[in-house]
Amino acid sequence: MHVSHSFLTWVAVILTIGIFSFLWKDNPFYKFCEHLFVGVSIGYLIAITWYNGVYPDLVTPLFRQGKPLYIIPLVLGLCFFCRFIPKVSWLIRFPMAFTIGWGMGVAIPATFQTMIIKQIQGTLLTPGIFARWDVLLWAIISFVGVICSVFYFFFSWEHKGALRLASETGIVYLMVGFGASFGYTVMARMSLLIGRLQFILRDWLGVIR
Amino acid sequence: MKFFQYLLKIDRRIIYIIMGVLVMLPLIRPLGLGVTSGPRAARLFHAVDSIPAGKTLLISVDFDPASMPELYPMLTALMRHAFAKDMKVLLCGLWPTGAGLAIKAATDIPPEYGKKYGEDVVYLGYKPGVDAVILGMGENIKNVYPNDYSGRPLDSLPMMRDVQRLRDIPMVVALSAGDPGYSDWLRYAQSRYGMKVGAGLTAVSAADAYPFLQSGQLTGLLAGMKGAAEYEILVQKNGYSKAYMPAVAAMDSQSLAHVVIMILVIIGNIAYFATRKRRS
Repeated sequence: MHVSHSFLTWVAVILTIGIFSFLWKDNPFYKFCEHLFVGVSIGYLIAITWYNGVYPDLVTPLFRQGKPLYIIPLVLGLCFFCRFIPKVSWLIRFPMAFTIGWGMGVAIPATFQTMIIKQIQGTLLTPGIFARWDVLLWAIISFVGVICSVFYFFFSWEHKGALRLASETGIVYLMVGFGASFGYTVMARMSLLIGRLQFILRDWLGVIR
Repeated sequence: MKFFQYLLKIDRRIIYIIMGVLVMLPLIRPLGLGVTSGPRAARLFHAVDSIPAGKTLLISVDFDPASMPELYPMLTALMRHAFAKDMKVLLCGLWPTGAGLAIKAATDIPPEYGKKYGEDVVYLGYKPGVDAVILGMGENIKNVYPNDYSGRPLDSLPMMRDVQRLRDIPMVVALSAGDPGYSDWLRYAQSRYGMKVGAGLTAVSAADAYPFLQSGQLTGLLAGMKGAAEYEILVQKNGYSKAYMPAVAAMDSQSLAHVVIMILVIIGNIAYFATRKRRS
């Protein structure tokens, strides 16, 4: 056992214990750690956005290199803050219109291609589908699952007969999906706990490698 | 019946203590339950392995310290794999809070293989504006990142002479804890520039990525700490690293925790159904 002499490690351990103390019950120490976390995160975010985005991409070209066109993003950016002044709050519409227009124009074709066309294709036509029987089998199972799950969300006809069979099969697929998501969520939460315990046992107490 | 009622009323703090002890014990005294690598990790491994020496692997560090236990071991294992195969590693980030972790990896891992910053590894830093960043990198990386994270001009870094745009990079591996992340690399880097995209994800978001794996859009997938452990094993089994494997070391605790949770779910359900009639 070799307890760390690093001040920062001690701070991290005390804050970790503070956050874990919520498991016992809500308490002022936990509240302090929680507020500290939020404050530090936001402060860090502002600082890194300034030094990695605003300063090199706006301040430097506009004020140091004298590129006048950069006045446009500066004005548009400042218009976001008009939200806080009721008399001129309508000015926020300009940067919003620009952001939404540009974002939609860029995102719609790419999203359509990636999330819809490729996914519809991939519902049955997966790579290696005719090369191995197990790939073909999984592709068919996925295809049936997609069709049946979509039928479950089809509300224009009453679910009876073949439609009922399809929608109930869809429920089975949905439940399997929820189960897999829950299992993965449990694994994720346990991983975070293990990570913290590894930090306490290794970096602080020095009892593991 | 009383026993089942007692089980349903058990204090949650007792469960936390049991779980904490059971997770901690295997970290101190490993049980040696073992980990095997699955096909999804193997696909990513082979895709990275097939990149020729001298070419660049792009790793997008899209996570924060909260996801470090799951994703940081993936980052170090990928970097070790790349350096052992004489590839160059270009790091970038779509998450501002990932900057410190990328810097740590870019500082700690290259010396293990005698690699130097600027010649074999470069960290571009974080830039706000996800779609603009990826699309801009597709045209010219230096337009988006004129300097690296520490302010050194990219023109002064020897590695960046051969890497002008995304088409010069055979593959990107996005280590994502959420959004922005791998889906943005698929949306912009793959659909527009035809890049191969691999993903390392937190377990929470892994289930959402399976459709992209099935359709072949994702080259490979590492899911959570288990995925990290699988990649660490593949890297070590192929003789690329002898370093300590933090994700593999955690697998005993993970397995034990899962067994406990399964037992608790089963007991909870039995107790619920056994007492349901009485309650109604």
